[in-house]
Amino acid sequence: MDYDVLLNLASDLGYGLMASGAEIYRVEESIQRLLIAYGMEKADPFVIPNCIIVSFLAPGGKTLTQVRRIPSHGTDVDLIERYNDLCRTLCRETPSLEEARRRLLQIGQTRRTYSFPVLLVAYWSVAAFSCLFFGGSPVDGLCSGFCGLAVGLALTGMTRLNANLFFRTMLCAALTGFLALGMSHLIPGSHSQLIIIGGLMALVPGLSFTNAIRDVMAGDMVAGVTKIADALLTGVSIALGTGFALALTRLLWGV
Amino acid sequence: MSVFTTYFLPVLFAFLSSAAFAVIFNVRGLGVLICSLGGALGWLAYLLSAPLLQSDIAQMFVAAVVISVYAEVMARIRKYPVTGYQLVAILPLVPGGNIYYTMEHAINGEIDAFLSSLLHTMGLAGAIAVGVLLVSSAVRMWSSYHSHV
Repeated sequence: MDYDVLLNLASDLGYGLMASGAEIYRVEESIQRLLIAYGMEKADPFVIPNCIIVSFLAPGGKTLTQVRRIPSHGTDVDLIERYNDLCRTLCRETPSLEEARRRLLQIGQTRRTYSFPVLLVAYWSVAAFSCLFFGGSPVDGLCSGFCGLAVGLALTGMTRLNANLFFRTMLCAALTGFLALGMSHLIPGSHSQLIIIGGLMALVPGLSFTNAIRDVMAGDMVAGVTKIADALLTGVSIALGTGFALALTRLLWGV
Repeated sequence: MSVFTTYFLPVLFAFLSSAAFAVIFNVRGLGVLICSLGGALGWLAYLLSAPLLQSDIAQMFVAAVVISVYAEVMARIRKYPVTGYQLVAILPLVPGGNIYYTMEHAINGEIDAFLSSLLHTMGLAGAIAVGVLLVSSAVRMWSSYHSHV
């Protein structure tokens, strides 16, 4: 068996899982199980939010190590499920390394995503239904939906431009604030507060917060604390962004 | 009518917004329905526990526990990672409104209202965290008990 190929396989699997937003313990466990299933004596992956270190002791006493850096990434539940499934299958069947490598690459190539219009509809509905959920009237919900749409467009655009997470959040929050204030000014009987709350729901760091708690519980303190800080800073960015929009409109027009 | 507006509509909105979140985080197929049902179930638990607990922090805790148990069960049934279902179903519970009101108090310079609203928001977030934490560690203990026996 070519241990270098195995090393690459294991670290690519870990990289795929991490880059689609899996928890730390899942990545570590998957790499370890894979290496043990292929007959390695010791396998010690170490994973923190933007780095994977895979090290194992091959039969015969040779040690191999690889370090991979993880770029900033979003969450793709479908990819996590498929990589997880692949890892289970590989551990159970242990096919040849070439075959395993082929299946791993296939997942990356046949990535299934929703089309852009569907995503925009989703952003619209997140905002609209959250607004209704928090007690908005149907008109508020409709306006909020358009804020959500704007947030969706801005997020996609800025992600493509590699904008920093906090800057991106702040700008989207400010955009929501301005749009909501404008719409509530034009449409009588609508509530700017509820429109803004709905529009912000797509930005709120609920996902990284829950993920952080799961990491802390699994004993990965480094990852957990990093992600909690991430969630808190995102929350502060939202507040700063909307606060800026509110304060500026108040200053200029006194509304 | 009151059952319709106090229970049915909020649960329906929670269901629909979870579905939209599921699409944003690229959950596919049946998973979308599972996530949305989780969101709806969580909010139903929140509403139903209101007369008993009369505190939104305690209700939020109940909702988080219900969602986490539901997600663990669904993940076992479908043999998929639990994360996706749990994360997406919890999203409608996130106290977005409280975050906003906290910020608004800060802008208006109402320091007392700002602080109490901030603490309340942190309490809600903490309740979600404790709910998630409790279920995930219970499941962990349960599965390691079973693997040792």
